Amino acid sequence: MLLEACVFSTILLGFWGMLFKQNLLMKTIAMDVMSTGVVAYYVLAGGRKGLFTPIFQPGRAVDYADPVPQAVILTAIVIGLSIQALMLVAVMKLSRDYPTLEVRDMETKNMP
Amino acid sequence: MNTLTIGWLAGAFFLAFTTYLIPRFAKVFSFLVVIFSLGYGLALAAIKTPVSLRLLDNFGVSLLLDELTVFFVLTNALITLAVVLTTWETDRTPFFFAQLLTLHGSLNVAFAVTDWVSLYVALEVVAISAFLLITYSRQERVLWVGLRYLFVSNVAMLFYLVGAVLVYEAHHSFDFGGLRVAPPEAVALLLLGLLVKGGVFLLGFWLPMTHAEAEAPVSALLSGVVVKAALLPLLRCSLLMPEVESLVRGVGVATAVLGVVYALGERDVKRLLAWSTVSQVGFVLAAPAVGGFYALSHGLSKAALFLVAGRLPSRQLPQLRAQGVSWSLGLPWGLASLSMMGFPVLAGFGAKVLTMQQLWPWQTGLMSAAAVGTAVVYGHLLFVPWRWSGESPSSGLQGALAVLLGGLMLANGVDLDVFTGSEMGKALLTIALGWGLYWGVSRWWSLPLPHAGERLEHLLGMMSLGLVVLFWWVWAW
Repeated sequence: MLLEACVFSTILLGFWGMLFKQNLLMKTIAMDVMSTGVVAYYVLAGGRKGLFTPIFQPGRAVDYADPVPQAVILTAIVIGLSIQALMLVAVMKLSRDYPTLEVRDMETKNMP
Repeated sequence: MNTLTIGWLAGAFFLAFTTYLIPRFAKVFSFLVVIFSLGYGLALAAIKTPVSLRLLDNFGVSLLLDELTVFFVLTNALITLAVVLTTWETDRTPFFFAQLLTLHGSLNVAFAVTDWVSLYVALEVVAISAFLLITYSRQERVLWVGLRYLFVSNVAMLFYLVGAVLVYEAHHSFDFGGLRVAPPEAVALLLLGLLVKGGVFLLGFWLPMTHAEAEAPVSALLSGVVVKAALLPLLRCSLLMPEVESLVRGVGVATAVLGVVYALGERDVKRLLAWSTVSQVGFVLAAPAVGGFYALSHGLSKAALFLVAGRLPSRQLPQLRAQGVSWSLGLPWGLASLSMMGFPVLAGFGAKVLTMQQLWPWQTGLMSAAAVGTAVVYGHLLFVPWRWSGESPSSGLQGALAVLLGGLMLANGVDLDVFTGSEMGKALLTIALGWGLYWGVSRWWSLPLPHAGERLEHLLGMMSLGLVVLFWWVWAW
């Protein structure tokens, strides 16, 4: 229960950071925090029934962790990593035109 | 058919990566993949029996290609074919074509899968390749627009992921069907992700700027197929659960009206087209059972409009009215506009009639108003004077427009029963009313509307509000 609260507060803090941080780099990192929270929730979901590595051995009657959420989240971690990398490259390119990386500057210049 | 399906899904990715090894064949590869997709889509339409596959046991990937999917597969194939033809003569790098193939392949996957996690993966790959295509020119403006797109779509997908694991905990599989037993928060989170990605109602404010600022061929892809990757799952879920259906129909109507109102306030051609995409998304959702055909007809005509818009001398309507456009661009432009209005003998007519027939009583009034509004919006594009001189478009663009407009003609064959006197009369009346309003009011005066909703913070904030509203809605079922 406590773990779950921690995980959800990580997700919400990440989202809060995306909303309230003005700097584009900080927003990107806040998004990473949020996705860390989501990943942790999957790990938590996998470990609800037991914590033992799900490798079957004869005569070993323990509570196995559920491998499915972990397998699934592995894909999501990789996707998250590549998106993060792409965004950081874009932020780097944008920093030449907007050295302070303030989101407000970019919006005032590019709004219709 | 099963082997063919797997080959169709994997082939696009295989050739996309091979493009990096043999860059010289980039264009040939993309052409081959698209032709194969088109053939597969037509074969699927011909056999009429759904293909259903489950890979890797109960937790694995499940695919379903039924008659609803066929429309989306064909839309994807035709629009990508048009884009390949338009960009054939340009000096775009093999990188562009590799991304095009990745986008095409991942869209096919997104249309075929029926489990939450595979859909997540497909939608994220769509987002990544769409981002790379949007930012292809590397200008500072498109970089910002692309980054904004990635932010919004990734945050939506993070919420979606939380929903997916909640479905798994309730149902012990990631199937769409698990939504029935899932807790309300799971349904709200999943729907939020799909509604944002689909550009629906207030959650779709990211869409106009993204679609308008990208290059013309990329805009055609984004508006024509990419938004539909999230609409098909919404349609599928609403056919599974009546509660979701009433929600989807409701937001569909709201989106159709909102998009038309904003499109009427625009005098920039590409932004007008992008807002019209928002409203057409609403039409697709308003009648889930026939949404596929509507998506096809909208995709083809919108792609043609965006491709032509890229060759126009200006993006501003007043300037276009003063200068006129060459007739060789004006003709396909006018035909596609007529199809969007639902003019008979073009596929837009059939799609609109079928959608209108499937509406629930309370939807009819608002959707008819939105249809009249659409006629006003496209009046702006249709009534641009033609010049009889001027150079003709490149043969690539001509080929692309021939594919798209030919598709619009042939798609009439989907349902020939709609060609009755009363339906045609209704369509012509709607259009006449729209043109009357155009010449009477809209040409001379436009409502100034606030654009604050398009700021990044508001987009994210709207997501949190949307989550709360969706949660209460689902809670009240």
